[in-house]
Amino acid sequence: MYNHIKEIVADAEKTEKPISELIIEQECKLSGLSREKVWNKMKYNLETMRAAVSKGSTGKGVFSHTGLTGGEAIKIKNYREKGYTLSGDFMMEAVQNAVATNEVNAAMGVICATPTAGSSGTLPGILFMLEKKLDLNEEQMIRFLFTAGGMGLVIGNNAEIAGATGGCQAEVGSASAMGAAAAVEIAGGTPAQSSQALAIAMSNLLGLVCDPIAGLVEVPCVKRNAIGAGNALIAADMALAGCTSVIPADECIDAMKKVGHQMPVSLRETGIGGLAGTPTGQAIKTRIFEKDV
Amino acid sequence: MLLENDYFTLYNKGNGRFSLKIFLCRESKMENRFKSVFDIIGPVMIGPSSSHTAGAVAIGREGNKLFGGVPKKVTVHYYGSFAQTHRGHGTDYAIAAGILGFTTSDLRVPKAPEIARKRGIDIRFVEEKGESPIHHPNTAILDMTDGHKRVQLAGCSIGGGAIEIRRLVIHDIVVEPSGTLPIVLLIDPERKIKNQRFLTSFLQQKAPFNESRIYKSPDYYIYEYAIQNYFKPSLIGELKKKYKNIVCL
Repeated sequence: MYNHIKEIVADAEKTEKPISELIIEQECKLSGLSREKVWNKMKYNLETMRAAVSKGSTGKGVFSHTGLTGGEAIKIKNYREKGYTLSGDFMMEAVQNAVATNEVNAAMGVICATPTAGSSGTLPGILFMLEKKLDLNEEQMIRFLFTAGGMGLVIGNNAEIAGATGGCQAEVGSASAMGAAAAVEIAGGTPAQSSQALAIAMSNLLGLVCDPIAGLVEVPCVKRNAIGAGNALIAADMALAGCTSVIPADECIDAMKKVGHQMPVSLRETGIGGLAGTPTGQAIKTRIFEKDV
Repeated sequence: MLLENDYFTLYNKGNGRFSLKIFLCRESKMENRFKSVFDIIGPVMIGPSSSHTAGAVAIGREGNKLFGGVPKKVTVHYYGSFAQTHRGHGTDYAIAAGILGFTTSDLRVPKAPEIARKRGIDIRFVEEKGESPIHHPNTAILDMTDGHKRVQLAGCSIGGGAIEIRRLVIHDIVVEPSGTLPIVLLIDPERKIKNQRFLTSFLQQKAPFNESRIYKSPDYYIYEYAIQNYFKPSLIGELKKKYKNIVCL
């Protein structure tokens, strides 16, 4: 199994295979399953993601039981339809997809964790936008997920992907880095550029704390996925432009782990510090748990 | 008397009897906590949290597997982030769903406590204040019983729905796996080390392992293996056919 990003890049360059192919081969070897089985498993995940994006962006949208989140993917959709956005329609489409997915998650709908449920909007956010922008077929979209997953495996095994151990940088930060690397491949960039995009995306979200109000995966998680998606696209574009990260990808991952472990417990998914600790955050917690949701 | 090092540990069970842990081998290889791309892209699950909901389902499911079915009474002890946020994350219904044997994407997951109650299964949740005994902020310890048999499983949710099982108590024997799944346990009432040798050579061929340990008490021996990669489903069937008292976590 690949233990470092640099090994993946070196192998991809040596074999002249895309990263997605190396990860598919690795998965077949590790699991003993046929290529077809492995492929279909990822296809099922892709279909789950598509259904969640669609559910959150249809009609009035979805709303969580607490009323804290919901309906904002629809607001973004309506805003886009007016034809003028500051950051561009494709960017806001990615944001809409990301928010839609996490609203479905907060409403206890079915999602695919990528890498976690709290960060489940980031990858579909950019993937279903790129589907339209780059006219991707299903095979390319499945390959996107293998590349993202292979990068995520290295992150998970060398650092953290849980908010409770690494903060939000380990969830949305990892998702964003995975998405940036996969976006580069799907846009025709090199494996080395994928690694640069990962490093840039991860560096830019380093230190992000996990501070959910009332401990719920709602505020700020839903909107954090918007920044995860946006940051992934920015990092991918920068890498495709030839920008490089001064700190190599593997060292960025190590730094993320150390920063996560240095974070106080109150900022690691305990619902105590950060936004959760504000007067409003505390008041919401009291209100929700009096009702005993 | 208490000896503690990597290879040999003696537990005083407090009733004048001892159990013994013998560490057999460890490969120098780095052990990866996440073993499949589908640990990262996946699982497909009912929200809202992969570590507090999907991971909690997984801990409950391992409890079900270890117990060999649904226990009559379960007390769940929460530590750290689990203790702080289990209500908001649906951790309670997730653990209950796992104990009933449901998967993470089963639409009955949020209704699991109700279903358990109707089946006469008593599940209680306790928020513990202290440090997790298995040193992880997302810890749940399951005490399970059916009146005769008592089994304990200490699991932690390490992110994205993946879990580790770091401590088990079976027949009063404390089993301390390295944590990462899969884990194979053989509970041997015959206490014959040749049973361990047979299983070891079988696994060496079919499911290579990183570490193995033997736990001994006056009544049982338990052989534990930390398996390298996830099982193929057919292998679990094969093991269960061969061994009556085998547990595959």
